[in-house]
Amino acid sequence: MPAQRVADILAAAGVPSAPSDELLGAVVRLEASRVADALAALLAEGFDFFLDLFGTDTGEAIELTYHVRALAALDDVFLKVVVPYDGEAPSVWRSYPAVLHAEREAAELLGVSFPGHPNPKRLLTTEGCDPFLRKSVAVRSAEEVRLPRE
Amino acid sequence: MSDEPVTGVQSILPEGTQPTPMLPKGLKRVPSGVDQLATEHLILNVGPQHPSTHGVLHMLVELDGEEVIAAEADIGFLHRGIEKLAESRRYHQMGTILDRADYVSGFHTETAFALATEKLAEIEVPRKASWIRSLVMELNRCASHYVWLGPVGMDAGAMAPFLYLMREREMILDVLEAISGSRMMFNYVRPGGVVRDLPAGIDAPLRAWLAIADKYLGETEDLLGGNEIFRARMKGVGVIAPETALAFGMSGACLRSSGIDFDLRKARPYCAYGEIDFDVPLGTVGDAFDRYKVRVEEIHQSVRIVRQLLDGMPEGEHTSKVAKALRPPAGEVYAAVESPRGELGIHLISDGGPTPYRLRLRSPAYYNLGVADELLAGGLIADMIVSLGSLDIVLGEIDR
Repeated sequence: MPAQRVADILAAAGVPSAPSDELLGAVVRLEASRVADALAALLAEGFDFFLDLFGTDTGEAIELTYHVRALAALDDVFLKVVVPYDGEAPSVWRSYPAVLHAEREAAELLGVSFPGHPNPKRLLTTEGCDPFLRKSVAVRSAEEVRLPRE
Repeated sequence: MSDEPVTGVQSILPEGTQPTPMLPKGLKRVPSGVDQLATEHLILNVGPQHPSTHGVLHMLVELDGEEVIAAEADIGFLHRGIEKLAESRRYHQMGTILDRADYVSGFHTETAFALATEKLAEIEVPRKASWIRSLVMELNRCASHYVWLGPVGMDAGAMAPFLYLMREREMILDVLEAISGSRMMFNYVRPGGVVRDLPAGIDAPLRAWLAIADKYLGETEDLLGGNEIFRARMKGVGVIAPETALAFGMSGACLRSSGIDFDLRKARPYCAYGEIDFDVPLGTVGDAFDRYKVRVEEIHQSVRIVRQLLDGMPEGEHTSKVAKALRPPAGEVYAAVESPRGELGIHLISDGGPTPYRLRLRSPAYYNLGVADELLAGGLIADMIVSLGSLDIVLGEIDR
């Protein structure tokens, strides 16, 4: 499905967006605050399969990518929103419960939050771990992390 | 023990309370369960060191007697930060860490990454390399399903099939070792093709396995699926409705056993699958027994695929010429394969450098496990292990 068609669906639901057809597929960029409305509109239009949510540190902010698919028509759509560091995007679990784990993971690994999440705990790491998918957090070797022996 | 004999009801009741009137003769107290008191809920920790959680999964379960009231999957015990580590690895080095994500079917993760890289860098793959990839992936699917089928039998109390299935899996692992040099951590599929050609004489051990695969699996089906106890433990247990499977983004055999016909090998053929004839088994009820039946039939279909791949293996190069220090142009791609657990996707973002800017592993078992809370609540604690086991979770891939 061309990105413009997706943008039309979102426009009908009152969500402005910027469509573009890229190597990735149909990409639609929109305001972070409207992502829950946008995904609810896509679900109603037959995008019944939620594939993934992940965040990327662009160096200036966190870009969240939502990947959904209409299984019958085999159409993939990538929704992209940008949130500032320590910013937030509404939880979309009411449209796609599949996102529950992914939102918790994105929150702890990139330091963003998802208001409305029913169980906003850490998922993979323990308290005190840096949001290490940010570029500012360096990869450390086991030797660096290990405490010196007596 | 007190020397004083128990003389009456009074002696075991707390001070100040009156014995219940109308208490039948011979009873010291009202039997528990009919006293209209709410029973205490118990929080039970299952795992992370528990043989039936199939890895380092920790389940927090709230119980009312035998009944599960709520369940929560606690994961991350095997988190190694593979996505972060990938940002400091060159494209040719990626196999070593991606094998450790889904450690029972490494070829699928390797191939998904190779497909994504090839899409990004516009690398042509020789036909033979695609066929070899399909061959090793199908062998890997069988090995993975064997290592699911055995333990799920043990979950339900059947010990023997596990031993038989390990015997057949060993035949496959020997072949995979001869091809790649390693039993499980292959690092064999690279962008552009595969590391080396199939070794001479690999036909013989492969055909030896093909000759017995269907027959021996049939015996296992008699032992497991034909066993009344196993059927009773699996049938009607862990039912996942199609809409539930979709809501949680489930894929693979879990999705298909709920009756939804979606297999990436058919929907978006990659490697050699467009030229191969095979069927996609579907379930009707979506219970644990359907997932068992679908996976067993998938092994039969994989045997069929391997036979076709072996018979039609094309001549030619096993890899195309690829720069040693690959620098794909800036861009973003998504490529996915149908792993034994479902849609395994690699979302790759490049900034034109020698390492990926961001690598996201869309893990099927991670999403399949998401249904656990919904699946287990309302069931029995004894069914919990079977229900969870039937999802085919691999924690290496879930935690990454």
